[in-house]
Amino acid sequence: MDFFIQQFINGITLGGVYALIALGYTMVYGIIQLINFAHGEFFAAGGYMGVIILSWLAGQGFMQTHPWLCLGLSLALTMGYCALLAMAVEKVAYKPLRHSSRLAVLLSALGMSIFLQNGLMLTQGVYDKAYPTELVSGAVMLGGVRVSVMQIIILGVTASLLFGLNALVFKTRIGKAMRATAQDKVMASLAGINSNRVISMTFAIGAGLAAAAGIMVGLYYGSVRYDMGFVPGIKAFAAAVLGGIGNITGAMIGGFIIGMVEIMAAAYVPHGGEYKDVFAFIILIAVLYFMPTGIMGENVDDTRV
Amino acid sequence: MTLGSKRSWLLFLLGLGWFFVLLWPLLGIHPDGSLTFAETFEVWGYVSSVAVAVMLVYQLNKSGALEFVTTPLERVREKGARVYAMAPRWLWLAVLIGFALSYPMWTERYAQDVAVNVLIYICLGLGLNIVIGLCGLLDLGYIAFYGVGAYTYALLSVHFAIPFWLSLPVAAVLAAIAGCIIGYPTLRMRGDYLAIVTLGFGEIIRILLNNWMSLTNGPNGILGINAPGIWLPDFADGFTLEHLWLKQLDHIYYVILALAIFTIIAVRRLNFSRIGRAWEAIREDETAAELMGVNTFTLKLMAYASGAVFGGLAGAFFSARMRFVSPESFTFLESALVLAMVVLGGLGSIPGVILGALALIALPEIFREFELYRMLAFGGAMTLMMVVRPAGLIPAKRMGKRGEEAE
Amino acid sequence: MRKWILCFAALALVLGGAIGCSSDEPTDEGGTAEQEAQPLKIGSLSPLTGPYAADGNDIANGVRAAISVVEEQGGIPGYSEIEFLPQDSACDPKQAVAAANKLVNEKVKGVVGAYCSSSTIPASEVIVAEAGIPMLTPASTNENVTERGLQNMWRVCGRDDDQAVVAVQFMQDFLDAKTLYIVDDKTTYSQGLADNVERLAKEQGLEVIEHDHVNQGDKDFSAVLTKIKDVQPDVFYMSLQNSSTGALMLIQADRMDIGADIVAQDAVYHPQLIEIAKDAANGVYLTFGYIDESTEAYKEFKEAYAEYGEPGAYSGYAYDSATVLLKAIEQAGSTDPQALREAILGMDFQGATKHISFKENGDSGSNYIIRQVQDGKFANYWNPATGETY
Repeated sequence: MDFFIQQFINGITLGGVYALIALGYTMVYGIIQLINFAHGEFFAAGGYMGVIILSWLAGQGFMQTHPWLCLGLSLALTMGYCALLAMAVEKVAYKPLRHSSRLAVLLSALGMSIFLQNGLMLTQGVYDKAYPTELVSGAVMLGGVRVSVMQIIILGVTASLLFGLNALVFKTRIGKAMRATAQDKVMASLAGINSNRVISMTFAIGAGLAAAAGIMVGLYYGSVRYDMGFVPGIKAFAAAVLGGIGNITGAMIGGFIIGMVEIMAAAYVPHGGEYKDVFAFIILIAVLYFMPTGIMGENVDDTRV
Repeated sequence: MTLGSKRSWLLFLLGLGWFFVLLWPLLGIHPDGSLTFAETFEVWGYVSSVAVAVMLVYQLNKSGALEFVTTPLERVREKGARVYAMAPRWLWLAVLIGFALSYPMWTERYAQDVAVNVLIYICLGLGLNIVIGLCGLLDLGYIAFYGVGAYTYALLSVHFAIPFWLSLPVAAVLAAIAGCIIGYPTLRMRGDYLAIVTLGFGEIIRILLNNWMSLTNGPNGILGINAPGIWLPDFADGFTLEHLWLKQLDHIYYVILALAIFTIIAVRRLNFSRIGRAWEAIREDETAAELMGVNTFTLKLMAYASGAVFGGLAGAFFSARMRFVSPESFTFLESALVLAMVVLGGLGSIPGVILGALALIALPEIFREFELYRMLAFGGAMTLMMVVRPAGLIPAKRMGKRGEEAE
Repeated sequence: MRKWILCFAALALVLGGAIGCSSDEPTDEGGTAEQEAQPLKIGSLSPLTGPYAADGNDIANGVRAAISVVEEQGGIPGYSEIEFLPQDSACDPKQAVAAANKLVNEKVKGVVGAYCSSSTIPASEVIVAEAGIPMLTPASTNENVTERGLQNMWRVCGRDDDQAVVAVQFMQDFLDAKTLYIVDDKTTYSQGLADNVERLAKEQGLEVIEHDHVNQGDKDFSAVLTKIKDVQPDVFYMSLQNSSTGALMLIQADRMDIGADIVAQDAVYHPQLIEIAKDAANGVYLTFGYIDESTEAYKEFKEAYAEYGEPGAYSGYAYDSATVLLKAIEQAGSTDPQALREAILGMDFQGATKHISFKENGDSGSNYIIRQVQDGKFANYWNPATGETY
């Protein structure tokens, strides 16, 4: 039983990471109906920025005296940095293509993704960067089950970001503008909403979420590498679609399902470790076969390539 | 102001400043607690000077100061177009084919190797073009069919010593079956749902290739695949047939050239057939097509299957040429590359796809000199090309408004 | 009418200029010493981009270091300078073959590479089998590399089958293990090694509880580690393609406190393993070639490599590969493949990593020992020849 609960907690944690990345995907998709392929790279950039700032603070000696303050500061700075980065990427690679075919935008995003990944590699080197993990080590034992502090933090951050996002989208003016733009760009502009600014904001928020995920992953696993955005990017994309793309709660649910399926497949199926991704994708295909718009998705409009 | 408005320059400078802000933390913050600026300024200055030069040329061109260069160029181009229009089309085609046929005679191995790669990707691009360009189904896992074809020939050759030419149809059929299997559950989905599911299928096939040890030998790949062979008549002493293995690059080049020409002709015929028109109807408006009596279900499956066939053929050739296959050749990045060729060249246009393949295979090779900067330049160039020519280099003629996703 | 033919013509011209610029010097088929001093071209093939870029750049830097040493000693007689052409294989067979063809085109006299066995094998078909250029791999440990009868394919590192023998011997004789849990990450190298270990362990009467796999690019190993903790094996053998994956696994294993002795292998051996895993790396055993760091050759290598940082796992082997190649060209006095082969077969000297001498098939023998991470450093730990600790 302990074995199952332990695996369950592993699954929840991994799911939380996917959910955090999937949130950003879904935000951007909801507003411009576009798969942002560079999203995984914002996540990687966040992971890198986090380690750069944290080690700098450690070098200055602040880390030893105010660890939690440092953590908060690096989180804030990193989210800001990634927001700036995302706005720049949006201006360069997306805005000029606002009225072109969706495939053109997809490819320009893909190009940007390759560019950013290699930019990280060239500026930061090909070697992994180690996080100061001693910052949040320690664990709680519940019977025979071990829950680390970092796992609790990941879940806490994911949950609070979800509520924050929901509040932002449904309770604030900018949220209202976002929803209006998502529904009908032309009409929203006529009503006096600056849709360019709204789209920029959405990118910034989505990338900020990805950056938070990057720091969490770095702290939890202990290191970051320049190509770390790719695999979680695809998984999170799958999670967002599974939950119904454009739907915030759906992204969370999708993330947890994909994470849980992977862990449980590796834990209970013979040879599950090598086939776990297959299981994740099969679940995705099966769900979409019966619910073509995902778990929480609304009716999909007749858009195509 | 002759050099563009104040506002455009202000925005430009703002952009450069923004770039600096993004670059500095990556280069200037060090773990020992120090901050430096020298390196950042060096890189930034380098980029800025190039950017300023480009901006200057752009603004000069806009203000008409460069007419002394552009006007003659324009004239040359018009003249070229006139000359081109004067001679009949078959003449140009003959020139092109003559160029392709004589290519190995005046080039070296490396150029031939690149040409072989380009031709493989032309086959792949044209196959994917059926699915995306004609039928409008976004497929992000296309490389799976390439993998199926490659492994089909590899296994047939290694286990049963079946010659390449006999394996080709088998590879095509198996790839078509894989296409139907992938196509069937995805037909109900649209847009991006389709994209992620096809991506998932592509990954599933790659993982199967990597893990199904007893069949595919897993990550070790399959060694010792036979090259294509041909029988040459030999009149030296009486009449005998002499068997020749096409191992040399310049021989193998002709095999793939034949395959590519076959693909081009086949896709062209498909494009202008009833089926091709039905696919385009589906692309433009599926609901309307259905109402007009187009059997969308069967036709979509057919699009998947026929796209897969060309992928399978290219795959079979790939393993015959490498004489070694391993799952590493069939990653998602390959799918993205083929997709990039199709979109960059121009959806639904055959010359466009050929040009796209030429550009995307040759570009990284040209950038080889840059070593580490190779992929950076590649990614940047891809974004830039898309921004400059969003509809592709040579857009297809028969592309409706809906395919372009009017807002 | 579209202008596409024109586009083609323009692009073809550009391409022709970029890649088809065939040099019209006559090929020196017999390779007597050149009439006038030309540069000597040496190529390398390794993943400079992509997931294995760390090891790939170590290899290129190792060759650079070797070239700088030879240049300092006055270079190679008959050549004006040594020109180095590092090529990116990206660990992708197709790109490796393209790069190999480029090197053949550039008329390099020898190639150091590649890193991934899946690149080395097809690339050697071009470089060695067709063009007759010697190729020395510093890192591909898969048996097939030297088992295909190629006349000029050399391996400076050890072989997987030898490495497995040492690992199993150590588990049995020294750790006194009864049960074993194996994990690999499904690459040519890591799986080949893990399969060898599994086979040998069963022959030796060890119980292999399970042979599990993870995927390349995974970051989360909590599921498999929880399983290991559950079954409590004596030894956990982790066979992974690169050190960063190894570091992640060690951190998570340490956190869970799985309680088994961990044995890893040479691809995990890298300074960054300790840098990332920190205390979690302490106590890990690794099979790695014995490097006598007190020799003159090693000190010379360290000094030459200083500008590239701490040597990686394969930097030394790449350095030795390049040294062998340059020595052979100097001794043979020509670049004729047969003469080079004889010169390389006749090698017998102390390199930076091992005593260099080659067998007929191109292997240079393995000298694996067990090293351990102690207080944040790699240290020699156990010698299989004597069965004693150092």
